[in-house]
Amino acid sequence: MNQFIIALIAGVGTGSLYAMLGTGVVVAFRGSGVINLGHGAVAGYSAYVFNELRTSGDLWLPWFDIIPEWGFLKTLRLNNLPTRIHVFDFEMYIGKPPIVPTVLISVGVSVLIGLMMHLLVFRPLRNAPILGKVIGSVGVLLYLDSVIAVNFGGQNRSSSGFWVFSPFSDPVENFLGLGGTIPRANFYLLFAAVIMGAVVFLLYRYTKFGIATRAADENEKGASLLGYSPQMLAGVNWVFSAVLAGLAGILFLHKTQPSLYATFIVGGLGAALFGRLTSIPMTVAGGLIIGMMSGGGVQLANNDWWPNWLEIEGVRTFMPLLVIILVLYFQGDKLPIRGTLSVGRQPHAPASNNVAVGTIFAVGFALLLSNVFVSKWESVLTAAVVATLFMFSLTVLVGYLGQISLANYSIAGFAAFMMVRFVGDGTLQREADYYIINGLDMPTILGFVCAVGAGTILGLLIGLPALRIRGVQLAVVTMSSVLAIEELLTKSRSLMGDGAAAIQPTPSKPTWFGQYIGGYNKETFRTDYWKYSVLLILITALVGVAVVNLRRGNTGRRFLAIRANERAAAAAGINVKNAKMLGFGISSAIASMAGIMLAYKIPAIQAENFAIFSGLGLLAFVYLGGITTGYGAVVGGLLVAGGMMPEFLNLHFGDVEKGMINAVGAVGLIVNAIVTGGEGVALLQSNALGKEPLALLRRNPDEDDAPAADEDNATEGASV
Amino acid sequence: MSNILETSGLTVTFGGLNACDKVDLEVPKGQFVGLIGPNGAGKTTFIDAITGYVPTSAGSAVFDGEDIGELKPHERAQRGLVRTFQSLELFEDLSVRDNLLVAGYESRWYSFILDMLYMPRKDQKVEEQIEWALEIMGLHDVADAMPSDLSHGRRKLVGVARALAASPKLILLDEPAAGLDTAESQILGGHLREFLDHDMSVFLIDHDMGLVLSVCDYIYVLDFGKIIAQGTPQEVRESETVKKAYLGEEAGEIQAQAGERMTSLQHDQGGQDG
Repeated sequence: MNQFIIALIAGVGTGSLYAMLGTGVVVAFRGSGVINLGHGAVAGYSAYVFNELRTSGDLWLPWFDIIPEWGFLKTLRLNNLPTRIHVFDFEMYIGKPPIVPTVLISVGVSVLIGLMMHLLVFRPLRNAPILGKVIGSVGVLLYLDSVIAVNFGGQNRSSSGFWVFSPFSDPVENFLGLGGTIPRANFYLLFAAVIMGAVVFLLYRYTKFGIATRAADENEKGASLLGYSPQMLAGVNWVFSAVLAGLAGILFLHKTQPSLYATFIVGGLGAALFGRLTSIPMTVAGGLIIGMMSGGGVQLANNDWWPNWLEIEGVRTFMPLLVIILVLYFQGDKLPIRGTLSVGRQPHAPASNNVAVGTIFAVGFALLLSNVFVSKWESVLTAAVVATLFMFSLTVLVGYLGQISLANYSIAGFAAFMMVRFVGDGTLQREADYYIINGLDMPTILGFVCAVGAGTILGLLIGLPALRIRGVQLAVVTMSSVLAIEELLTKSRSLMGDGAAAIQPTPSKPTWFGQYIGGYNKETFRTDYWKYSVLLILITALVGVAVVNLRRGNTGRRFLAIRANERAAAAAGINVKNAKMLGFGISSAIASMAGIMLAYKIPAIQAENFAIFSGLGLLAFVYLGGITTGYGAVVGGLLVAGGMMPEFLNLHFGDVEKGMINAVGAVGLIVNAIVTGGEGVALLQSNALGKEPLALLRRNPDEDDAPAADEDNATEGASV
Repeated sequence: MSNILETSGLTVTFGGLNACDKVDLEVPKGQFVGLIGPNGAGKTTFIDAITGYVPTSAGSAVFDGEDIGELKPHERAQRGLVRTFQSLELFEDLSVRDNLLVAGYESRWYSFILDMLYMPRKDQKVEEQIEWALEIMGLHDVADAMPSDLSHGRRKLVGVARALAASPKLILLDEPAAGLDTAESQILGGHLREFLDHDMSVFLIDHDMGLVLSVCDYIYVLDFGKIIAQGTPQEVRESETVKKAYLGEEAGEIQAQAGERMTSLQHDQGGQDG
């Protein structure tokens, strides 16, 4: 019992971080109506800046040098975008640079990020539908994480934390006579979280700025009639929120690595929802409660009765999810949804008429590049096709049904691991195998079906909250699910096989009907085996045609009807709950297939293959290609890191880092959300055939003249 | 059972206020029944209650011989109790024809498999119903356009056409004429009675007194959530209670005459398209 209480109190440290992040999330929400999924990444960037200043004296700005090294740019000396400023000279400062300027500079970078978020992302998206705003915040998250990977290497850092919060501060022995020790820093962090909450609370309650923000939050139109500019208020709040994130990041630095901040946002979101996105004191309390539940939960799970197929450490990431689901389930109706002055349209989702031609063309092109004819492109080709296969799952769920789920890639990973276990037979299949996987020894095809089934069941479970909640709240739930699935399931040794936590071989028995179909070629020692490519291309083509057909039929129309208006959909006799479950089921089945095919492609699968940022990157690129059409998934597949387009870039610009590609993808995502509302490259091009292309750039698409019917057909025909 | 819809003692309470107070109302099969009342009388709340969008606190609603009190909105729609919305509520991302198709076809558990294989069920009866709905609302020329490209009035007609496409047994029209221009009102008013020839009964709520008095077989008058009068159009027009509560003697008479002119004009022109 004493140990449990000690564990609870030990959780206060993390809880304080959740409270601080939650406070920032609430500030941004009250200012702009956006739940910022990238808030943790802002904290992470500032923490890295602080750490870097303290260790090397360099200041890294939140972007990287993207300008190519072309001859004429070099002669003009325009080939460099400044990214690094050497601030502190270590010769001058013995040991570490002074703390106050370091903090000020780090917070200054937060201000810069806050301004960028407002001016470049959320201000242009102010009239976008909810989907667009969520995608915008996903873009912020992915961008900052990618830039961190490029500028700071994305590696864990030995902490260079903040003075009194140093881990060397002496722990409190025998706290309250309970017998355990508690780091003294926990109390300082608690103090910091409470002070931060109190300052924000008082600021909103008693200053003119705070009252104006609250007024705009309750009634944007009313506030603007009273002479307050909602966008001005939003901008100030964005900067304020970013500063709070930066402070949280710096304060907490000694307890964790900066690379983890982006995922800590889940706790912050839980805290903010606990405070119903309005109350700062409740948010702080919520953060502390979640932190304590996580600490106590792990302590409780460390018992004999705990099922050994669930990772004990996973409880830590499950607790925020639990709180989020409970709050949304019981309070979901009462959470504020901010009405803006006007709401933009959803991305257009035309049905296509020439499926056959497009499919034959795409399959033919893919086969032409495959090892059957040329061998050079095999690996990138299959990377692109696997990505496309996965993206079809997002086309159905996000594009057609309008449910923003960020957890699909985790489902893919889960299915891949299940496949390994279903077909595992305890023997080494290849020389390259490191581990023997014990399993049910199913035939490959049966294992495939069962693994897809298992992935689908997990997908339906994740989809359950979507029956009650929608929009950004669903994005929050699914994002938390990603972390919980990773920690609880895919890293579980007993469920996924010994060594799963570290490394996992591809499915044993890589044969279908007696044919070896693993991507790994025993002769060339590369992943370019042609039978795999052919199988993958065929499966992808079949799934793609099915997904496009879905839109042509009544099921797709029903999905779009639900996306547009759930109330009216019910009036048209649509069972909204069943249709949503159907969408989640189809989508997670496709995602599972993609996960399994990926497992056959690469030499070894690990939980990290299916980590959150890989999934978000795929979402970014399918959104860029066009989330609402099958064609968009194909274009998106070509763009992903490891796919065709980056390979092409490599030929021309030398080595391109994955982080850079993802950052470019994130920028493209945001630009696409602003310009086309998610219709993407695919529709941008096809619309140009039917309408003037600049029509898409106009502020209000509703002002377009009514197009004649034949023009509409031309638009539809162009998009496969 | 000759009544398609029958409510008895139907009560809807919002925070102590009875928006509908013990409403007893009958819609006989194949009849055109109207409900009128001043703003805030509880007309839309009544439709919301019988279609399952707001919970009732007392009373019962029987549709086609079945107590529908416990059914979800989509279950009521599937049974043939279909409504339109005052505030449009179209599927903005679907073309006009697709809007109608969504309502027209019912879904089976295996539908999605057929759809994936592109073997959609073509039901001649549903297709004909949709063609008729487009025709009667004058929407053929814009069948492939998006709703956002249409005028407000025509969008309203799309809403009515979508309800018609579902082949309802009873169609509940919530102020279909509000916001329509003269030509559009004529399309609507001139065709309303034709609905009855397609195996449906009609329940109409509208502000346009003229329209209601000219097309309805029977009229209920609602005020402060209570039925204060009922009868044939003639009886309602002459009822002293109604005049006091709602019409105002002069204004009501003028509106009534205007309505008659409107519908007769439409018949003269012989169903022109918008």
